[in-house]
Parts: sequence; structure tokens; C-alpha cells
Amino acid sequence: MTTDTATPVRPGTPVRPSEVARPGDRTADRLFATGIRNQWYAVCPSDFVPAGGMKRLTLLGEEWLLFRRADGTLHMLEDRCPHRGARLSLGKHLGDRIACWYHGVQVDGTGTVAAVPGLPGCNLEGKQLVAAPHLVETGGAILAYFGDSTHAEPVPLTLPEQLTDPGTTAFLCYAEWNVNWRYAVENLLDPMHGSFLHRDSHSMAEGQTTARFRIRETERGFFFEKTDQSGVNFDWVELCRTGVDWVDLTIPYPPTAGPGGPFGIVGMATPIDEDRCAVFFWRYRKVTGWQRDTWRFLYRTLLEDRHWEVLEQDRVMLEDLRSDADQAENLYQHDLGVVRVRRMYRTEAEAQATGS
Amino acid sequence: MTSPTHAQYLDPHQSRTAEPTPYEKKLAAEIEEVFGSGAHDLPGLVAGLNARDLPAPDGSPWTEETFRTEMRRLGA
Repeated sequence: MTTDTATPVRPGTPVRPSEVARPGDRTADRLFATGIRNQWYAVCPSDFVPAGGMKRLTLLGEEWLLFRRADGTLHMLEDRCPHRGARLSLGKHLGDRIACWYHGVQVDGTGTVAAVPGLPGCNLEGKQLVAAPHLVETGGAILAYFGDSTHAEPVPLTLPEQLTDPGTTAFLCYAEWNVNWRYAVENLLDPMHGSFLHRDSHSMAEGQTTARFRIRETERGFFFEKTDQSGVNFDWVELCRTGVDWVDLTIPYPPTAGPGGPFGIVGMATPIDEDRCAVFFWRYRKVTGWQRDTWRFLYRTLLEDRHWEVLEQDRVMLEDLRSDADQAENLYQHDLGVVRVRRMYRTEAEAQATGS
Repeated sequence: MTSPTHAQYLDPHQSRTAEPTPYEKKLAAEIEEVFGSGAHDLPGLVAGLNARDLPAPDGSPWTEETFRTEMRRLGA
């Protein structure tokens, strides 16, 4: 394990979270545990931050503060006053800025010190000293770009088309799981668990319990899919890397769910810290008109409960995994997707740790 | 391990603002039944609801228009 020397913070230079000295932050192990940088991540549901409101969050092992202006404009700051390091989230929302409770230092939405009331004209004023990630809102969620010190500008972001297509309607389900983020991603790259863990569910009771899988490359990632069954159970998943990492998959509905075919899931997992993650599942369906309205009514009234039960099966299984579960595995052919995604993130963690 | 400021967020109901009314629960269950019988088009759905003991909100048999309107209200 190597430890980077923290880059000194120069006044007047935008600070990235990684430049705040915390030993070990940039090691490959730390990145693997708390999230690959230089990409977008889902942060939380949009309604966690109402107009005029604040929300404190831990993301990628770091502390953050979201606040929204009265006009809806959203900002995110590292939860750290540039003066003495107090939590800005303990401060006061002043409309377009936050005043630190400790000494009143005011930081605006760009991370710039707007005022130092105790010493007007102080040289902190006008300097951007607090990390303020770029944000996007889509599908009822907030996404933020987490760059390291050499990748401060966001990478291009292509949002999942299911969240932007007017012919598709979706509900976001957000949850926090007490498990490392990578186990949540690996669970999605393991479609075969649907036939066992979720066999007693409203949508995954059908199909074979044996399968062969293959990996099929796409321009934005890869499919991991059964070669001998499709459209019966959780039979395939596509990992998509479009500036944000997400998966797409579909699962057949029983006839009681009406017209419109299967429901799909756009899934994202965001590290909270090394032991916890935030999961975002948009359940979507390609329906319009009365079919859309009826599905949404059924979803609110009956289906959401059933979807939740399925998700709880995943949570219980994953939260009870030993933290060293992946140190003593005996993988077989069904785990090609897991191996692939794990290697992908490990390789990126190594590259980001060495700055290559 | 989790502090009060980091209580685990696990909310089974995120798509609704209130518990469904008895009427909404009954209507949803009836719609599922009709769908389950294989009727997936609007005329079939309306006929199926009318064959069951649940009139439209105005007390009349369902029509395609009253069903559309009600779903627009409940599913928007």
C-alpha cells in the first residue's frame, strides 16, 4: 500500500476533496473501498433538499452539505468551513450561502468565501476554498461529479435514456444499505441470484435454475446475459458507463400488472463510506396514456410494496455478508460478470492511486 | 456504528404521499384481477370492472372516459 503526499492547499485555488489532507485517501485500497473518482454518482433524492433547505450527507467517505436556494438552484459543498474546519452543515442557510456557526464565515454555492464578518476585508474573502462539485438533477435524484485534484472538470455525462425518454415512466426507489458499494454493484452483475434469492417473489418465480452466461461488449459497457433464456426472469444486465456508472435490466411482470411488458430497473450504487452505500433503483416501464396512469396507480397502491420486498431480500443477504466475503470465494461460470466488474474497478483504483 | 445523523434510510413507500384509501385499494385489486384474466385493452378492462362490484366514482358503470379520467387523477 502506498500513501500519497497530500498536495498543499494554496489560497485562491479551488480545492478538491482529495487535496484535504487525510492519510491514505488516495491509495488504491481506499479508492476501491470508498469509490472510484473522476465520474458522476447519484447523491440522494431531489426532495431530500427542499427549497431553502439543507442536507448533510456522507458520500465516498467524505462529508458533504447540500443546500438549495429559494428559486430551486442547488449547491453542494464539502462540509468543512475553510476557516477552522467546522461543519458548514451546522451553520445557517442565508439564501445563496451558508454562514458557519462557529465564526460566521460565509461560503457561497461555488465554495467561495463571500464574507468574513469578524474581519471584513480578510484575505479569505473572494477565494474559492471549498470543494463544490458540479450537479445535475434527473429522475427525481441529484447527481454530482467527484473529481480528484487533476480532474476537477466534470467528464461528459449521458443520462440513462429511461430517465429522459417521455415514452417511459419511472419511480425512484432510494435506500441505504450497510454494505460496501461494490457488493451492491456485484449483486446486479449476478442475474442468477434472481432465480434463487427472489424465487419467492411476484416477478421472479419463473424460469430455469440452471444457465450459461456470456459477456457481450457494447459501446458503453457490456451485457452479462444468459445464453439460453431471455424475458423469463432476471436474465441479463447491461453495465453502462456514460460518465455515471449504472445498470439496466428488465424483469417480466405477471399479467396482473397489465399492458406494457416488463418493468425495467436503472440501478446505481454510490459509496457512503467503506461499510455503507446508497442505492438508487428507478423502476421504469415503457407505457403512455391510460396504461401509464394505470401502472403508476397500481405501483403506488400495490406494486411498490412487492418491489420493496424483493429489494429487502437483497439487502438482508448483502448486509449479512462477511466483510471479507470476497477473500475466500470459489467462483464459477455464473460469476463472470462479478469478476469483470470487480477487475474493472480494481484497475481504475490502481490507476487513480498512481495518477496514471 | 450509525449515528443519529446517519440513520439508515429504508422507506418502503416513496411514491405516495398518503396511505391509499379503501376505495383505492379495492380499485387497484379489481384492476389487477381483470388484468390477470387476460384483458389488457381498455374496452376489456372497462367491461371487466363493470362485471365486478365496483362502480365508477359517480356511481355509474365505468366508461373508457371515466376510467381514463380516474387513472389520470390517481396515477399522474
